[in-house]
Amino acid sequence: MVFVAPAMIVLAAILGFPIVDSILLALQHVQLTGGAVSQSWVGLENFQRLFADPVFWKAALNTSYFSVMEVILVTLISLGVALLLNHPMGKSGFFRILLIIPWAIAPVANAVLWKWILNANYGVLNGILKSLGIIDYYQVWLGTPFSALNFLLIVDVWKSVPFVALLMLAGLQRVPQSLYRAAYMDGAGPLQSFLHVTLPTIRGVIAIAIVLQTIWSLRVFDLVFVLTRGGPADATALLNFLAYRVTFNFLDLGYGSAIANVIFAVTFILAGLYVWLLWPRQPGASR
Amino acid sequence: MSFARLQHGGPFRQTMILVGLAVFVVWSAGPVLWLVISSLLQQKALIQQPPDLSPANFTLTNFTTVVGAAAALGRGIFNSLVVSLFSTAVALALGAPAAYALARLPVPRANGIAFLILATQMLPGIAIAIPLFILISKLGLIDNVLSLGVVYLSFNLPIVIWILRGFFTSIPVGLEKAAAVDGVGIFATFWYIVLPISIPPLTAAAVFAFVEAWNEFFFALILTRQHAQTVPLVIAQFAGQYQTVFGQMMAAAVISVTPVILLAILFRNQIIRGFADGMMKG
Amino acid sequence: MFNSLSRRNFLQAGAAAGAAAAMPGFMTRQAHAEAVALNVFAPLPPDPAPPGAAKFSEEAFEKWKAANAATVEYETLAWPQLHDRMATAFASGSSPWDITYNCGWVPEFQSFLTPYADKLPKALVDDLPASSFSTVTVDGKRYGTIFTLSLLTLFYNKEHLEMAGFKAPPKNWDEFKTYGKELTRDGRHGLVLNYGDPAGIGGTASYWMVFLQQAGGKMYGEDGLPIFKSEQGVAALQMMVDMMPSTDPGSISYASINDATNVLLSGRASMMMNWPFMWNAGNDPNQSQVVGKLASAVLPAGPAGSASIDGTDAWTITKSSKNPEKAQQLIEFYLDADVQKRQVLDTGWLPIRLSVLADPEVQAKAPNAAVVLEQAKHPYDSFVTPDYNQVTVAVGTEVQKALQGQKTAAQAIADAHDAVTAIVKRRG
Repeated sequence: MVFVAPAMIVLAAILGFPIVDSILLALQHVQLTGGAVSQSWVGLENFQRLFADPVFWKAALNTSYFSVMEVILVTLISLGVALLLNHPMGKSGFFRILLIIPWAIAPVANAVLWKWILNANYGVLNGILKSLGIIDYYQVWLGTPFSALNFLLIVDVWKSVPFVALLMLAGLQRVPQSLYRAAYMDGAGPLQSFLHVTLPTIRGVIAIAIVLQTIWSLRVFDLVFVLTRGGPADATALLNFLAYRVTFNFLDLGYGSAIANVIFAVTFILAGLYVWLLWPRQPGASR
Repeated sequence: MSFARLQHGGPFRQTMILVGLAVFVVWSAGPVLWLVISSLLQQKALIQQPPDLSPANFTLTNFTTVVGAAAALGRGIFNSLVVSLFSTAVALALGAPAAYALARLPVPRANGIAFLILATQMLPGIAIAIPLFILISKLGLIDNVLSLGVVYLSFNLPIVIWILRGFFTSIPVGLEKAAAVDGVGIFATFWYIVLPISIPPLTAAAVFAFVEAWNEFFFALILTRQHAQTVPLVIAQFAGQYQTVFGQMMAAAVISVTPVILLAILFRNQIIRGFADGMMKG
Repeated sequence: MFNSLSRRNFLQAGAAAGAAAAMPGFMTRQAHAEAVALNVFAPLPPDPAPPGAAKFSEEAFEKWKAANAATVEYETLAWPQLHDRMATAFASGSSPWDITYNCGWVPEFQSFLTPYADKLPKALVDDLPASSFSTVTVDGKRYGTIFTLSLLTLFYNKEHLEMAGFKAPPKNWDEFKTYGKELTRDGRHGLVLNYGDPAGIGGTASYWMVFLQQAGGKMYGEDGLPIFKSEQGVAALQMMVDMMPSTDPGSISYASINDATNVLLSGRASMMMNWPFMWNAGNDPNQSQVVGKLASAVLPAGPAGSASIDGTDAWTITKSSKNPEKAQQLIEFYLDADVQKRQVLDTGWLPIRLSVLADPEVQAKAPNAAVVLEQAKHPYDSFVTPDYNQVTVAVGTEVQKALQGQKTAAQAIADAHDAVTAIVKRRG
């Protein structure tokens, strides 16, 4: 307990009041705009309003798609990258440093960089695709709902893969060579040894990756803010962007907290489910 | 098929891996390359269709302007270093023992506690920003580098605990048992046996904490005013209401990412040699 | 940078106070006064920043501080983040600033501001356009002073117009449409705008407000409830929809005005509604391919004539300020005729004082000043309300749907009207 207590105390000291306050705020109507600041208890009214709000449902739908795709893509791509970099041909330090860079670039700059890359009129992506003859005309990548949401997704995957891949690479390197040798002795081919040796051993790492990525994908905000502002016509409004807009642009603190609490509840359920499903139940660890 | 061949693969698999590595390099480096090119180009060349990469358009002006005009950048880098190092060091110092205890020691309800720690990450920062601001300003600690570093513990500590807990879980039990037989207490076991073999995962956790603190924007925006401004805020200064000085912004981004890359190069052995030091043999 | 700046200022102010202390008699009152420390929250250049934060009138600023025994500390932030930081501080009830910049947010933050502008000297007020106070007035009280004349006008590429055989800029909606159609050729677009962000001044909704007023419509009735579900409201949106074939299709994805401005400055669009500040950017050879080819004109007239919206860059004083009088004096200094003149000559931001706008030197340096002044003779209401952000998101989103062909103009306006009615009623 001496080991755990300091961390718990620090977390409680920083987050205790804000988290409790944010839950309480969700039950209040807080008015800052105009004449005077007012605060009153309204029970579950914010949530009733929320569930009747079509923008909320649109954002919820966008977020579900975004989050599910993000977790799948990031997990698969990261696993692929980790396997590549764990292969003798990919062990060079160059690859590992390159791996980190997309994640190390400040997100503020990263988002603006992508805005320019994807620009419909002078973006370099259009320039490259057109000179390769893949497209005939410059495309408005962020102009239609489906395309805009998917480009946000691609950019966020690009930014998220490095850390998860690093985590998985770490896991892969802990798979004992002796296990592979044993599998080889048993006549396992590359696929079998991947399925029966590699995957089970890094199951814990994959579980962490999925849980963390789920949490993060439900909190995506900066990319939306810079690239699309939720547009066109709320097609890329994700829940956390909505929470931001309502809290900081509309100054509707209670309603914003209600949205944030929905994000919290959804994340909590999903993460709980994943941990329960995926966390390896190893003997030996006293838990 | 020999064992070595199984590991390296045949010509087909080797070709596939080469292709895979090439795709990986283009995917990772392409946008980064464009970032660097953008930082070296005049804006009028960047808005051409397609962007005009003729040598005459390349310039170092963006860098000289950013370095010359923005003493703010220097201060931002300094602040970010302090915030990131502080937050990383404390997160590791508090997180490693907690992770170890939650992984290996008979802590009651360890799983529940671990999940509670993770749950603190589930409420979006946007929701806690205003209460957090009220808390910090009541304490008179707005615009203070260290208070920002403490706030960063709120996301660094839980993630560090979760990363490390996963690794500690898979340490062979034999090591600790041997220590216990020799009459070594858990503090000593942790300090002399567990930590030394955990340098690589500790490095990974440290890299994570450092980068996240280095790049954090939203709390920095809310909780600083002028003196404690960190690098991301300085970079954001190049995007105004009517104008984004894109080249300069990218130049600032290149400058700000350099320390992180230097760190990565410095610690590449830990990252590269990775997490597989002979400890798994037991 | 700011550290050393404020420290230097402090030393100077200290010296000034010391000098005052040495003086006998009538100076004693000032001698006893401690140096007043003012805290000003302002955007960073190139957005409109005050002397000392932007490079103009720095000497005069030092003199003002010395003469007023005041120190001024600037807290500057990139423009897009200003609102968030202000909102957080006000929401927590503690604002550390004496003076803040404001942009259409005065009704929103009104309860945290003082109506100091009612006490401005008559000579100054008389030199400001009366309508410039409309966006900073709430319930008849004036909470801010606009310090730069920033109205949307039409910017166009002279060369493109000449090549298409047009000798003058479009004067009315019909000409605007014809010009748009004729100018869309050779990979260029007649018009470019930033329709990506629905919200705020300069967002999609605000562009529609321009057309709405040109059509003779208004957002709100006397009772504060929306009245734009009207012939004019639909006609305004229909005009925007009709222009779409000659508008850069990327416009719907441009989330900030800079994205669209770059297209104009690269010479691949011929016309754009833009702010006076654009003039400098358009003639900067580092950014622009159309140096010397840009001109500006009053926006094309709709059925009710020309109209625009107001950028509303204003100085306000917070209620929590301990030195509101000194703060007001500083704002009066910002609006001093000489400072205003240096503001336009050194930074490109137009002055707001009519006398300075009429100055020949100013008109020579900023040839578009005359156009903006002319534009100011027509309506330029930005329709700011306490829930302006919410209203513009609701309206702008519906406008985007119409522009993308998901809804008819009439349907979009009807839906926007319902949404805004709900917002206004909830405010109560």
